[in-house]
Amino acid sequence: MTAKPIPATAPFAEDEIHILNQVVGIATPTQRAWLAGFLSGLDAANAEAAPVAAPRTAEPLTIIYATESGNSESLAADVAKAARKLSFKPTLIDMADLDLAMWPKNKRLIVIAATWGEGEPPARATAAYNELMSDAAPRLDGVEFSVLALGDSAYADFCGVGRKIDARLEALGAKRVSDRVDCDLDFAEPAARWIETSLKALAPPDAGRGTVIPVDFAQKSAAASVLGPVEAEVTEHINLNSSRSDKETIHIELSFDGAAPTYKPGDSLDIYPENDPDYVVAFLKAAGLSEDADLRDDLRKNRDVTTLSLKALETYADVTGQQDVKALIASGEAAQWIAGRQLIDLIETYPAAITAEQLRKVTRPLAPRAYSIASSMQEVGDEAHLLVSAVRYETHGRQRKGVASNYVAERLKKGARVKVKVKPNRHFVLPAADKDVIMVGPGTGVAPFRAFVQERRATEAKGRSWLFFGDRRFNDDFLYQLEWQDALKDGILSRLDIAFSRDATEKVYVQDRIWERRADIVAWLDGGATFYVCGDAKAMAKDVRATLSRAFADVKGLDAEAAELAVRDLERNNRYQTDTY
Amino acid sequence: MAKDPSPKELSSMEYLKAGSRYLRGNLAEDMADTNTGAVSEGSAQLLKFHGMYLQDDRDLRPERAKKKLDKAYGFMIRIRLPGGVLTTQQWLALDGIAQTYAGNTLRLTTRQTFQMHGVLKFNVKTVLKRINAVALDTIAACGDDTRGVMSVSNPYQSKVHAEAYDLACRTSLHFKPRTHAYYEIFLDGEKVAGEGERDDVEPIYGKTYMPRKFKIGFAVPPSNDIDVFSQDLGFIAIVGKNDTIVGWNVAIGGGMGMTHGEPETYPRTGDVIGFCLPEDIFKVAEAVCTIQRDWGDRSNRKHARLKYTVDDNGLDAFRAEIAKRAGKPLEKARPYAFTSNGDRYGWTEGEDGKLHLTLFVENGRVRDFPDGPQLLTGMRRIAEVHDGEIRVTANQNLIIANVSKDKRDAIERLVKEYGLTSQSTALRRNAMACVALPTCGLALAESERYLPDLVTLLEQRLAAHGLADEDITLRMTGCPNGCARPYIAEIGLVGKGPGRYNLYLGAAFDGSRLGKLFAEDLDNDAIVAALDLLFAAFAKERKPDEHFGDYVIRAGFVAATRNGLDFHDRSGAQRAS
Repeated sequence: MTAKPIPATAPFAEDEIHILNQVVGIATPTQRAWLAGFLSGLDAANAEAAPVAAPRTAEPLTIIYATESGNSESLAADVAKAARKLSFKPTLIDMADLDLAMWPKNKRLIVIAATWGEGEPPARATAAYNELMSDAAPRLDGVEFSVLALGDSAYADFCGVGRKIDARLEALGAKRVSDRVDCDLDFAEPAARWIETSLKALAPPDAGRGTVIPVDFAQKSAAASVLGPVEAEVTEHINLNSSRSDKETIHIELSFDGAAPTYKPGDSLDIYPENDPDYVVAFLKAAGLSEDADLRDDLRKNRDVTTLSLKALETYADVTGQQDVKALIASGEAAQWIAGRQLIDLIETYPAAITAEQLRKVTRPLAPRAYSIASSMQEVGDEAHLLVSAVRYETHGRQRKGVASNYVAERLKKGARVKVKVKPNRHFVLPAADKDVIMVGPGTGVAPFRAFVQERRATEAKGRSWLFFGDRRFNDDFLYQLEWQDALKDGILSRLDIAFSRDATEKVYVQDRIWERRADIVAWLDGGATFYVCGDAKAMAKDVRATLSRAFADVKGLDAEAAELAVRDLERNNRYQTDTY
Repeated sequence: MAKDPSPKELSSMEYLKAGSRYLRGNLAEDMADTNTGAVSEGSAQLLKFHGMYLQDDRDLRPERAKKKLDKAYGFMIRIRLPGGVLTTQQWLALDGIAQTYAGNTLRLTTRQTFQMHGVLKFNVKTVLKRINAVALDTIAACGDDTRGVMSVSNPYQSKVHAEAYDLACRTSLHFKPRTHAYYEIFLDGEKVAGEGERDDVEPIYGKTYMPRKFKIGFAVPPSNDIDVFSQDLGFIAIVGKNDTIVGWNVAIGGGMGMTHGEPETYPRTGDVIGFCLPEDIFKVAEAVCTIQRDWGDRSNRKHARLKYTVDDNGLDAFRAEIAKRAGKPLEKARPYAFTSNGDRYGWTEGEDGKLHLTLFVENGRVRDFPDGPQLLTGMRRIAEVHDGEIRVTANQNLIIANVSKDKRDAIERLVKEYGLTSQSTALRRNAMACVALPTCGLALAESERYLPDLVTLLEQRLAAHGLADEDITLRMTGCPNGCARPYIAEIGLVGKGPGRYNLYLGAAFDGSRLGKLFAEDLDNDAIVAALDLLFAAFAKERKPDEHFGDYVIRAGFVAATRNGLDFHDRSGAQRAS
């Protein structure tokens, strides 16, 4: 018998009730008691400024997170949860909202910082990060801290931001109570261990006497696990670029066996990719392990067999004893050598006898890849649409293919099945229906704005919508062109400005259009509009932000500093939101 | 005046013109709208008067909607280039535009000018400004007006050519629309306040311009390279002593267009109706133009060309009205003789000692062909060193004109270096095709992209019958509107549907007689088979120096066409070979 304790009248959607019943219905009395306590504790923690009639003085703990994709943020929540069990009174602070003045107050400090792109802090946290690094940063004598760094070892400055914050806090006089841990994409387990260690180190002497329920952080919480991953079927697969284009941008539509996992406009979907079978074959051939079918299957589905990090290089040297690789590492030129290379280059260039187990060790787990969802459930129902640009390039004389994007482009044809998981993004959300939105989304950056426009059409939102789109060529690369034209006709899209970079001698980008329209943009923002940027983080997002700052300066007659503050103000009020990659 | 007494409803185009404030309409707004690469239907019609067609890449049409893409719009931009003469500086400007905005290619048209295709709406103004910067424009290159005026390209009669060319330029200017709309809309020129509301802006055309396009050309015998009988109004030079032009025969009512399955539409060769003195030429031209303006059919656009007005009213009525409007009657036509409507290739020396090199450009397509002539680059290099001018012929070829003797070697080297004189056969040199697919919206079948392959097959058949060096004119169009003048080619092929053509035979080699429909709906193999039989018979039965077009009539394969009105009579094969 399956108990159904949650009544159909509960304030949840039908599918949510179903999910809750799956958990609560089968829970033991202990589990239910734990849940009850957990939920009330959660409410208390979330009632931010509300004065709590604390029965006893809990030790305050500040948890600062700098997040781009949401991982640091969810880990910070895990820390808060665990800290509460240890009688701390945790305060969660998004580094994006952090003021210099807030630093010294915190005697106990946890920092979880993601490193983004080529060693940069998450975009929203940049200003606070720069302040911390500047001479204006306050002394932090008497503060105890521990830092968790998140990153991607595929990039040169792995966990650079976390490392720098860790060093900076010490330099400012704070005391490191437990060692920093640097996490790669498979962060769950090392992060869980770090949480345990750090909280113990920060714990007041009398803590730990309470009834602590151990939490296995490697396991996702119940709520998270029912959100996915789930299997979806590809019901549509279209290359939106014309056959004359040198780009390939795939629009895929996914349907689910039953209800789609709930998502909101602005959320992403994690795709669990598989490796290119041809690459895996070549890779195994280079390793001399072509015969091992099990290994081939395992690597294809589960291991990252392309990313060449310093760590992978070191592991390879360790397990094989390859002298040339050891020499390369010793020479200090390894970082330079791995740039633009993949694991297959390592094995081909420095061949060595290697076993299947050793080879697995050299690789890291194959991580899911998040793509901004390009649809609204209000319009497409139980489907999710994605927009994926096939990444292909050549380095060191070899054709390279992005693992996830080419999995989508080349192998997820109509009818194929794929594992996905919703990745909520509460930093990229539509405002109230009567508010205006300005959306800047060149290339695949336009994906969430298709979701925005769909949502606003379905909900008959009254606010105006203004889209800036750009790509290479008007006739070949105008993603969703007909849909934007329809949206303009039916008034859901109020304005559209386009910038194509290869149609004329002068390259025009979205930021150029923003500059041309600066008077209207500032007027919209003064009227309460929210400004969104999605797409390339390396250049576009920075250029757009700088252009907006210049626009404020020009239109309002501000100096550069005041204009920058105006943009920061928007960011703090969640009216400048970015989803960049 | 023999006009239809019952007033008929005007065509929608007439309302559009009348309400357009001298060709302005909504063009400025439509051109500025960045949300679409197209313009509204009305604006697309008005664009033609400014020398442009809104087109889309028809090759891409099937995939566009599925990819959530609008049609791949691009503008065809045609230059107003009277007589087909341009400076090297102008060539380099057009070449630069082609490289940046028009897919690395220039197209030489059958009316001695240039077309550029696939120009994005957002680049149109930039392109027109660059064209304007070298003293060229695109005004009235299309539309219901006096299209680009043609003149003989024959390079070795320099003095007479100069006179004909000068006349073509002045005629083009005389009939150029006076509205400032072009400058306002495309060149950011100053707005002429209230021009749209005035009644006297266009002294020749009035507010509604012509009922349909109106083409003028100047020919100098013995060359009929401009196909004077295909012009609405053609002038044939009568050359007197000392190579001076004593006056011009006047031919009216030529025109190529027709519609499949509508026998009331037909191509027509012009009728020579008299002679006028050089000083009267504008009076005569204006008389013919305004008669057509006033008498032409403004209800049915398929019946609106001068050729129908002439047949509806009769030549005598025209002669009388011309006399009235020009202030004096035309004199009796003088004798003249044409020998061909083709070009002479290679180097020639003019009377003034200057040299001219005529280059064959297959189907007028100037680009760098992989494994073929590097026409775009080669001509750029030539334009950089050449100190004369460049001419476009009515057969889509190029003349490097007025080369001083000391430059000949340099140019010859470039011609060799870029493969600009690839040896080609007689048939290929006498062949012509319109642009058709993928850009032309009217095309029913391929033309420019297909003709070269067909020529290769036909060459083999001709060679098999010992006719490899025979000059036979062959022209193909993708639709029956006749841009490449197929009805006055000895072999005319007119697109009927994908891969299907109607075959016309029996036109005169000098362009003075129309062909006749010989067979319908032929595919590639059927075309080759049908012509192979005729080539065989021709090789066996021809008289010395007899042209193929004359032979097929004498031999009884097709009936001769006397003029437009009997074009559709007795069509089909008359003799089983």
